[in-house]
Amino acid sequence: MSSSSSSISSDDEPNSNPKPVDDELSLASVTLNESNGNGSVNVNENENNRQDGGEIAWGRKNSEVEVEALSSPSSSGYAGERGSSSETTNSRIEDDEIQQVNNDDGFVDGVDHSRASSWVPGKRHVDEDDASISWRKRKKHFFILSHSGKPIYSRYGDEHKLAGFSATLQAIISFVENGGDHVKLVRAGNHQVIFLVKGPIYLVCISCTEEPYESLKGQLELIYGQMILILTKSVNRCFEKNPKFDMTPLLGGTDAVFSSLIHSFSWYPILTNVFVQVEKLDNFSVTGTHVTKTQSCGRNFQGSAKVDYCSSHQTVQASGPIGWNPATFLHAYTCLPLAYATRQAAGAILQDVADSGVLFALLMCKNKVISLVGAQKASLHPDDMLLLSNFVMSSESFRQVELILIDSTTSECFSPICLPRYNPMAFLYAYVHYFDDDTYLMLLTTSSDAFYHLKDCRIRIETVLLKSNVLSEVQRSLLEGGMRVEDLPLDPLPRSSISHRMSQQRLLTDSPERFRESSVGIGGPAGLWNFIYRSIYLDQYVSSEISSPINSHQQQKRLYRAYQKLYSSMHEKGIGPHRTQFRRDENYVLLCWVTPDFELYAAFDPLADKALAIKTCNRVCQWVKDVENEIFLQGASPFSW
Amino acid sequence: MGCASSIPDKSSGRSGGLNNLDNGGAPDAKNLRVKLVLLGDSGVGKSCIVLRFVRGQFDPTSKVTVGASFLSQTIALQDSTTVKFEIWDTAGQERYAALAPLYYRGAAVAVIVYDITSPESFTKAQYWVKELQKHGSPDIVMALVGNKADLQDSREVPAQDGIDYAEKNGMFFIETSAKTADNINQLFESVSVQLSCSRKLLSDFPVHPCLIHDCGLLKLLKY
Repeated sequence: MSSSSSSISSDDEPNSNPKPVDDELSLASVTLNESNGNGSVNVNENENNRQDGGEIAWGRKNSEVEVEALSSPSSSGYAGERGSSSETTNSRIEDDEIQQVNNDDGFVDGVDHSRASSWVPGKRHVDEDDASISWRKRKKHFFILSHSGKPIYSRYGDEHKLAGFSATLQAIISFVENGGDHVKLVRAGNHQVIFLVKGPIYLVCISCTEEPYESLKGQLELIYGQMILILTKSVNRCFEKNPKFDMTPLLGGTDAVFSSLIHSFSWYPILTNVFVQVEKLDNFSVTGTHVTKTQSCGRNFQGSAKVDYCSSHQTVQASGPIGWNPATFLHAYTCLPLAYATRQAAGAILQDVADSGVLFALLMCKNKVISLVGAQKASLHPDDMLLLSNFVMSSESFRQVELILIDSTTSECFSPICLPRYNPMAFLYAYVHYFDDDTYLMLLTTSSDAFYHLKDCRIRIETVLLKSNVLSEVQRSLLEGGMRVEDLPLDPLPRSSISHRMSQQRLLTDSPERFRESSVGIGGPAGLWNFIYRSIYLDQYVSSEISSPINSHQQQKRLYRAYQKLYSSMHEKGIGPHRTQFRRDENYVLLCWVTPDFELYAAFDPLADKALAIKTCNRVCQWVKDVENEIFLQGASPFSW
Repeated sequence: MGCASSIPDKSSGRSGGLNNLDNGGAPDAKNLRVKLVLLGDSGVGKSCIVLRFVRGQFDPTSKVTVGASFLSQTIALQDSTTVKFEIWDTAGQERYAALAPLYYRGAAVAVIVYDITSPESFTKAQYWVKELQKHGSPDIVMALVGNKADLQDSREVPAQDGIDYAEKNGMFFIETSAKTADNINQLFESVSVQLSCSRKLLSDFPVHPCLIHDCGLLKLLKY
């Protein structure tokens, strides 16, 4: 795969410049040939044709066909080894299914590039189906279907209209399985088709975003996990009873959950003028109660959707967008920066309720952890945390705190949820309560009748949080944001506190510091633009705030994908510990350093000096160490049991 | 539906469930605490009814309820009785149907909602009535509510159908509109009056509080 990021697609939306015809995907034209070569069976219809021993003809116009299926270790036959293309010898190229795409084909459909700040939860483009040109031009499709070919979920378009298309996908999968093999990946020009089979549930991603196979497969795994979180794995039993079981009604009303998860697979910028908003700090009154001005952004869903409800100067986005969620590929979680004592106070009260029969108690702010505690021996996987927080944040019914402050009208939710990594077969019960627009408490229990107990726990927790000012500290941290590359200490002096930095370091005028005030877009020392530090032991990561050199939507998304690729390349099988990678292209210098204790991913100015960049990475590591008590949840990690 | 592996055991009766209230409230006839559950198909407007009642708001953007939301609201009746409603606003989605006993068990009032523009939702309402007759507490007060009454033009369920069905099943019937606030307060007031009447009846008898739990006793007292 090319490492030149000029070819990294920066968008899941339809190409703004229509591509030549041969880039168009034409899955609908897949035909199955019987091995004796007699005739071909078209599987566009909703029938379940299964045939032994045949070839898949990947029909595309004006391009050579390349079928690259990664075979399972035990497999024999079908797709052969990676990179083999001998299977394509019998392929037939189908021309007829591909439609001409013109500039004026009218799929403008209201998608403009300002959508970055106007993302609306839920499904878009429901009117589309596989015959729509606009649908075919989408850069990244996700499908869930059943083993009988019934559609369950599609990112774009109406599932029911995609029945034929789903049947086609099912036919491909079962065709290969009938040969005793598994299809993992099909490459067709720019497109990759990734398959994931989970019992009776099939997941497929069709993408031309050039993300690595491992990343896309990981995304399918997360989508599957999200489905399990909603339904548990016992949904499989429905298929045992009735293979043609229609699962779509069971997922009714969850479009927003899936679409927000899929959104977090990409860099999703919110507002670019982060610094401007931070400067508003002085005007912002953080009061001793959990009611702050931020509540006037009552419905500020996922940070930026419905931004129009908020008056802009009160928007709190400094801590980075929700879409900046490397957790989707790092398999680690991140914490809201807080003074050690503040986090301890929150942890103590959570521990208190955990001892009273609560399985997990999580206090979170957006997608960042304030504190979390698990009952003894219970461990919570970072992926479960990601899926759980996505579920809660994307389901608006949880957040009905609104502006009503009358005691009797706060709403609480009690819902069955399943943690796929904890126990995919059983429901837990989640009590969810928002203290303010961003901060919410989740108490998980195995007992279906624990609501009133959990309600009491919440009241106790709330009292303590208010008394120890945790909630106001959370709001403050949200405004101040996390680590900024501009603040990377030049000298090795230990800095004990981020907030210290906030007040003092601006006065210690390092040269880049001074520049930052005058000219926006300089980044940190030695051209450092961004970094992610992942602590292996803690299962946590910290990433620097978006700095101005990577301000634009395109740049952010590109960097996100570059990190993703970097991560993927560093985690290929058979690579030992202690690895570094230094890569330079026209967009940036990427430096990655993987050790048994931590991983560091850093992006620099493309002209950055290598030696200096390495030195800077060392300084970043030192900096992270210096402030680890504030950026990481220490000690009571439930993962170490 | 087979996807709910932790369905509460129906045989456990009243001892489990989301119910720390006495059956319908403390035996203080002046200050009732009432557990009320809303049931019905998804999208009929259960949450909108609750939001209109509790906050006097209407939000036209549909927010799908997850699991169930818990809200409370206190109203005062003319005879200075106060009724504190502890409301379980359940999700209408099919996947939550198996979990409904968790929310309606021990409820004193069940408000079953359908959408007057949707015959399917009326059928679903009848399903809930049957379910409650089978598994709910025998003395539960049931109200049948036809919501979205402002959409007269697209009405598909005649009011008479609702009236007939409610009468046949000994239920209270009302058509409401959460959007225009029509009949919302009336719904809860009527329910309260109905409850307080049975309470008053109760308090006339020197019944030991724990006997109130006895199935059928309330019903007995009503006659």
